[in-house]
Amino acid sequence: MRLLLAEDDPELSARLVRYLARQGFAVDSCADGVETEFNGRETAYDVIVLDLGLPKRPGLEVLANWRTAGVKTPVLILTARDTWQEKVQGLQQGADDYLTKPFREEELLARLQALIRRNTQTVGEALSINDWVLDEATQSVSRQGERWELTGIEFRLLRYFMLHPGHILSKSRLTEHVYEQDADKDSNVIEVYVNRLRQKLGNEVITTKRGQGYVFGKLP
Amino acid sequence: MTSLRSRLGVGLVASLVVMIGLLWLMVGQSVEVLLEQQMASRLAHDGEALLGGMRIEADGRVHLQGRRIPGIYQQPYSGHYFQVEAGGQATRSRSLWDVMLPLPDVGVGETRIDYVTGPQQQPLLLWARGYRKQGRVVRLAVAEDLLALNAGIAQFRWQLAVWSLAMVLILLLIQQYIVIRSLRPVSAAAADIERLEHGEISALPEEVPKEVRPLVQAINRLLDRQRLRLHRSREALGNLAHTIKTPLTLLQQLAREKLAGCDPDTYEQLDHYSRQINERVNQSLRRARLAGDGLGAGRFDLEKDLPVLVDTLNRLHREHRITLRTQLNGIINLPLEQQDGMELLGNLLDNAWKWAASTVSLALSGPEPLTLIVEDDGPGVDAAAMQSLAQRGLRQDENLPGYGIGLSIVRNLVDEIGGEMAFSTSESLGGLQVKIHFGPRT
Repeated sequence: MRLLLAEDDPELSARLVRYLARQGFAVDSCADGVETEFNGRETAYDVIVLDLGLPKRPGLEVLANWRTAGVKTPVLILTARDTWQEKVQGLQQGADDYLTKPFREEELLARLQALIRRNTQTVGEALSINDWVLDEATQSVSRQGERWELTGIEFRLLRYFMLHPGHILSKSRLTEHVYEQDADKDSNVIEVYVNRLRQKLGNEVITTKRGQGYVFGKLP
Repeated sequence: MTSLRSRLGVGLVASLVVMIGLLWLMVGQSVEVLLEQQMASRLAHDGEALLGGMRIEADGRVHLQGRRIPGIYQQPYSGHYFQVEAGGQATRSRSLWDVMLPLPDVGVGETRIDYVTGPQQQPLLLWARGYRKQGRVVRLAVAEDLLALNAGIAQFRWQLAVWSLAMVLILLLIQQYIVIRSLRPVSAAAADIERLEHGEISALPEEVPKEVRPLVQAINRLLDRQRLRLHRSREALGNLAHTIKTPLTLLQQLAREKLAGCDPDTYEQLDHYSRQINERVNQSLRRARLAGDGLGAGRFDLEKDLPVLVDTLNRLHREHRITLRTQLNGIINLPLEQQDGMELLGNLLDNAWKWAASTVSLALSGPEPLTLIVEDDGPGVDAAAMQSLAQRGLRQDENLPGYGIGLSIVRNLVDEIGGEMAFSTSESLGGLQVKIHFGPRT
């Protein structure tokens, strides 16, 4: 899951980047409004965390500009301003959720997961496709009582697959959503990780569509 | 008390009375002078006629041709008299009977007009002139009674006075009408200011007469400045909150990470204090917002703002579809600024949304006093929790999961605007019922 974090406080930002990366997100961070708007428009993020009090361009304006430009990425507003007036303004500008400071990291994570699931039209608490159940807290996957631990990249990759079951996902799309901006992007690495998942969970879990990409689960 | 209307009225009455009084005097005087001049010229004609018919005998006696003398001079005390003097002898009209006119000493070619008293105390206008006739000096005086003329003039003066007075009254009425009409924009502006105070409009309309416009514009400018100042101080407070809350977030997260496992007591305390800081900051922010009330910021508009709020709630609780039943009873505004209305209804409805199974109801009745009732069909609260909700100054903590924070914000808001808040179990829906009585409008 590719996540854009727009937060101007360097300490909080660094902390959240570390936390969210541990939770299996590929996190890019921005500290000002102009850069945030550019990145949000140019990169296909799965979710954006937006602080309203950004320097150079206010968060609400950034959000409004995204929505006018047709950027549909779910946005969670993270702000110190906790009045309903501001909440209403934020959601009317096109935000999808609103979290006020101070907050717990777990609360932020839960909201982000809910947003992503809502956006990929997955219902229910846990992510479950064809008996495969992904446990986001322990970053493991289970099926009929059997459990497999996953490494960070394996978890990111499998989660993206499970959020888009039956879709043909190209290597470049997978790279884009699994790695953050600064990472060394070599799409062959995806092949390596797909093979590792197959070794762990069985060959039939991911099908290769030659020249197009990979499909999780049954073909449509 | 200074009233523009009475001041203008008094000024106008005084100037009108002086003007019309002077006019009355002048007209009266002119009429009198004109009539007397006319009378004098008639007397002169009569005199010339008398002179024409006069002959002086060798012995100096004056002989007047009777047929040339108008009959009026023959009736005693008729009010028309003449007297001729030549060579020490005087000849009088019959009308004078045995009274002598006080003939002034006029030289030849000299004319004099005098006011004298005639027979029977008649006030007379006397015309006298000296002539030379047949080598002799003749002094001729013709006089006429002024009584009838004076009576006519007096009557005319009376009539003029009555008409003048009527005119003053009519002018005064017209002036009052004009004053009331021209001061109407001022009372309209006063009414506008009142609407401004109640938040029905946000600026005074500037389509007013030229004379009132500077005042209205000055008020609007003042309002703008005040609003800007308020906006800036709110913004400054908001920024302060922002700068406090980010470190507060870090503090809480650090404490949780480092202490929750190994020193839970210290963690609990740290967590408690940092929550308290947060609560105080929020409270101060709300107070600052409420203190700015009455500056013409718009009221919470139930037709405009409520649908937006409901839409926001639906977005926030996308997985939990709720039907809102509203019963507004024709009430359009809450007696709160838009922001505060959002805060109050936002918290109340959000709470109801969280707990409701499928339905939330919002009912208003009033407008004086205004009552607001929010109910849900959720599980409701037990008696003990209800009591703790009802306590004033409920702490903003989480000993009542979900019902805590939002409702305590509402509680503070209601306290600060001088309202009443009560909790009970909803009769129709079975969940929690929150009832708010708004205090009298200040």
